[in-house]
Amino acid sequence: MIEELRNKVKELFASKRVDVVLGYQRAVDGVSAKPLFIYNQEDAERLVWDSYCVYNLACYLKELAGKKVGIIAKACDVKSIAVLLQENQWKSQDLFVIEVEEVKPSAPADKYESVRKLEAKSASERLKFWEEEFSRCIRCYACRQVCPMCYCPRCVADQSMPAWFSRANSLKGNLSWNVTRAMHLAGRCIDCGECERACPVGIPLRDLNKKIEKDVKELFNYEAGSSVEQKPLLSCFDKNDPTDFIK
Amino acid sequence: MTKEGWEPNIIGFLCNWCSYAGADLAGTSRMEYPPNIKIIRVPCSGRVNPLFVLKCLMNGADGVLISGCHIGDCHYSEGNFHARRRFAVLKRFLEYLGLDPRRFQMSWVSASEGDKWSKLIKELVEEIKTAGPNEVTGDD
Amino acid sequence: MSKKFMERIIGREELIRVIEGLLGNFQVVGPRELPGKGVFYQPMKNARDIYLGGGFTIEPVKKFFLSPSECFFEQKRNESGEFLEEAPLAGDKRIIIGARSCEARGLTLLDKVFDSDYKDSFYINNRKRTTLIGISCDSPDKDCFCTSMGGSPTEGRGMDALIFEIGDQFIIEVISDKGSDIFGSAGSELNEEQKKLWESDKKKRKEALSRKVAVPDGLDKAFGSPYWERASSACLSCGVCTYLCPTCHCFDLVDEERKRLRCYDGCAFADFTLHASGENPRPTKKERYRQRAYHKFDYFKKNFGENLCVGCGRCIRHCPVKIDIADIVANAPLDKES
Repeated sequence: MIEELRNKVKELFASKRVDVVLGYQRAVDGVSAKPLFIYNQEDAERLVWDSYCVYNLACYLKELAGKKVGIIAKACDVKSIAVLLQENQWKSQDLFVIEVEEVKPSAPADKYESVRKLEAKSASERLKFWEEEFSRCIRCYACRQVCPMCYCPRCVADQSMPAWFSRANSLKGNLSWNVTRAMHLAGRCIDCGECERACPVGIPLRDLNKKIEKDVKELFNYEAGSSVEQKPLLSCFDKNDPTDFIK
Repeated sequence: MTKEGWEPNIIGFLCNWCSYAGADLAGTSRMEYPPNIKIIRVPCSGRVNPLFVLKCLMNGADGVLISGCHIGDCHYSEGNFHARRRFAVLKRFLEYLGLDPRRFQMSWVSASEGDKWSKLIKELVEEIKTAGPNEVTGDD
Repeated sequence: MSKKFMERIIGREELIRVIEGLLGNFQVVGPRELPGKGVFYQPMKNARDIYLGGGFTIEPVKKFFLSPSECFFEQKRNESGEFLEEAPLAGDKRIIIGARSCEARGLTLLDKVFDSDYKDSFYINNRKRTTLIGISCDSPDKDCFCTSMGGSPTEGRGMDALIFEIGDQFIIEVISDKGSDIFGSAGSELNEEQKKLWESDKKKRKEALSRKVAVPDGLDKAFGSPYWERASSACLSCGVCTYLCPTCHCFDLVDEERKRLRCYDGCAFADFTLHASGENPRPTKKERYRQRAYHKFDYFKKNFGENLCVGCGRCIRHCPVKIDIADIVANAPLDKES
């Protein structure tokens, strides 16, 4: 299987269809995997594919604009590429997606279970929960950097004129940052889970994004990344969008 | 914990063509309504960025109101459609984070609805008074 | 009698009592495991919470000395007009129990920046008002390499006292007056047999470190190499490695809401060297990653005599894409060709 993958990649280089291919290699510890930038057929020999290959390599597409890129993509990685194509961040002729099947543990029966548990709590319990989680946020922005959908050349968090929220890791600053990022991902996040995996302090970021994903399905019957032709959620509207919350 | 004589501080984003004019009408018609709302005029409810709402609430505003034209009447045709979608998501999300849902509200008020405006604000201020001061971010 | 460099041996119950005595009078902070999340420094409520586990805190003890966001001054107004009010220095004494030798040694490196020709009043005040008590580690993981960076799991540089758990006894190396204030008369002095036991225990702890890293001499020869582009290709340009590092100390000054704050900043961020003109001398990951490697293993060494690294392994352990700076630097090509 791995030989097949390596050969596919080598073929892309042989036919000069790519400048770089994104894949996986063995990490320094000899056990886990880490991302691999393949620039030629020789590099392709380092490719590996196993359950350690958790990374969503689409996060590197933002810095490869203008190049012809091959990318080894798992099912949810393909969805993030679909969103990038929907948003005109890439032309499909410059992207070669090599889809791979992953061996994943079976998904839980209800993917929104943790969201529902939180929804069932009282408002003050929820506030206390999120205050505790965000108290650990160190504003490293690993969540943003690892996300394929966070490709703004100048992130709102880095703007100083005006400064939208505090750089300090006060509750005010941390809450603002995480809420803003989740809102900027509304209808775009395909729940690859990389943000939560990358977070060094264990904040359950997926529970933020999944809540919006659930709401967006309920409110607008919209699922992110379901096709390349789909229109981005917040750039369109429907005459029958819910209106009951407006006085 | 409510200080003696505390008055809610509510920020309102009003669209220029409908809601701002409607509030203006309430004023010229001498319809009384509480002064707790600080109005920021925007061209359209669709101009309002969810970040504005967030910044207000994080910096101690006790309530935020966005008010625009009725559906179908937007001066820019579609602005309020976009606002409706965007803020449906934000409202549910803020509630999920534990923020009191009374603190962020939206309304459609047309230029002729001075009466609706004054009643709306009277009710809004009462609701926020019951909700108490916004202490989400503690001191600072 | 000199109060420094004494050793005491103490039983578990007496250690608990000593710590209980501290809880009543000071802020006490120690590592605690939050299930499913990791080990974090938290206020200690109960002396029995003393962390004797093998895990490493995710954030190093650095944040208690160089604060992630420090207010320098605030703009205020009175009848005469506007004025700047300097932020007061915190006065309350604080005790940290459970730091590791690596992160404590990081403080001695930070001292060279914030407490030498330039004296940072906030940092120095925090050093003065904090008593740092360490616990020697016995279970380094595959990412630890403190012994390769001139340190060891048994040394107490930067600390006021260092605790060794040996069986059901605790040997305490008292390193400073502050440490002596707490442990000076605790337990008893070590007898010859206990001293021997301690020496062999220390040897065992050092030997538990399997990873050895050799930083090449003359790293500057590799500066122009395309090696750095390949080495940095997977870097996300986030702040995990710099913020979790016990020795990284770069900061940004921001003015927010009438306050001037000093906040952590990281050379990995894309806009770290972005000028007001729009020019960025480190525009890609290659320049930024190379800068990080060189600051730690070349420039700091040339300026201060030591690598700006204590081998704690946090950057490797928590990097979202498993970049290993020690491996990258150890393999830097010193011949210009590669």
